[in-house]
Amino acid sequence: MTQADRALIIVIAVLALLSGPVAVVASGQASAATLIIEGPTGRTEVSLGVDRTLVVAGLRGRVVVEVVDGSVLVTSADCPDHVCVHTGAISRPGSAIVCVPNAVTVRVGGARDDGLDAVVR
Amino acid sequence: MTGSMLSSASVSTPVTMGEVRMGRASRVVTAGLLLSLACVLGLVEASFAAPFAGARLGLANIAIVVALGVLGEAPALAIGILRVVIVGLATGSIFGPTSALAIAGALAAWFAMTVALRSPFRFSYIGISVCGAVAHVLAQYVVASVLTGVTGVLFLAPIAVAMSLLFGIVTGYLARYIISRVEVSHLSGR
Repeated sequence: MTQADRALIIVIAVLALLSGPVAVVASGQASAATLIIEGPTGRTEVSLGVDRTLVVAGLRGRVVVEVVDGSVLVTSADCPDHVCVHTGAISRPGSAIVCVPNAVTVRVGGARDDGLDAVVR
Repeated sequence: MTGSMLSSASVSTPVTMGEVRMGRASRVVTAGLLLSLACVLGLVEASFAAPFAGARLGLANIAIVVALGVLGEAPALAIGILRVVIVGLATGSIFGPTSALAIAGALAAWFAMTVALRSPFRFSYIGISVCGAVAHVLAQYVVASVLTGVTGVLFLAPIAVAMSLLFGIVTGYLARYIISRVEVSHLSGR
């Protein structure tokens, strides 16, 4: 290993270590996660930071979406199997609740912070 | 076909810095062997679980570094790209996003290593290998964030770069060992 090698390795290591905290700070400044609700009547985006109850008109009736403490859940829906209600609360970016009979989807938007979509080797 | 591509590529670049003076036939044979070595190492690596999302051992880079040192820049590029094509065919991921990432990584790694080899700094094969490993990882992260439209994946890059640094050092030592055995390289002391 030559001197140039050592210098290169140290420079890259320092840059990688420094860019870690910078990335964390930058991601902290990113806008808070948003909630994207899509249904037969259109699409709405609301902040996940404010607690509220939303009633969405679906194909078969109403879907009640509740935002509590930064997570979102469907509390009741006019559908036969209630898969959306049983999904429970979600909060991680990229996760979703879907009510197929009502054609309503509830997604948490924003950048994924928990990993990658795919792993490539 | 592979062999003729590689030899024609090497004929067009006379004696570049990393080349060993060897006959045309032995160049073709060496290029073919290095390509198959790169493919096998790539497949071996594909069967491993990644130690960290986005990090890779970069075993195939051993063959590329050896090609760069023994055959020269153009054959190393040809081997790097053909490796991605062949491994893509073998694993069934060709024409998918996986191959787009792999091609980007291979091109970036080759470019970084060529620059390192030509630079006035006297990098050994360890330094050259580190350049390739880090460039490979960075290119994959950039392409991944473009493909997914999510810049959040870039936040994982520092850890992956730090790991690729370690793997780059290891593969650099292995490549240097192999080059010292391939012989007559005037760069074998590097």
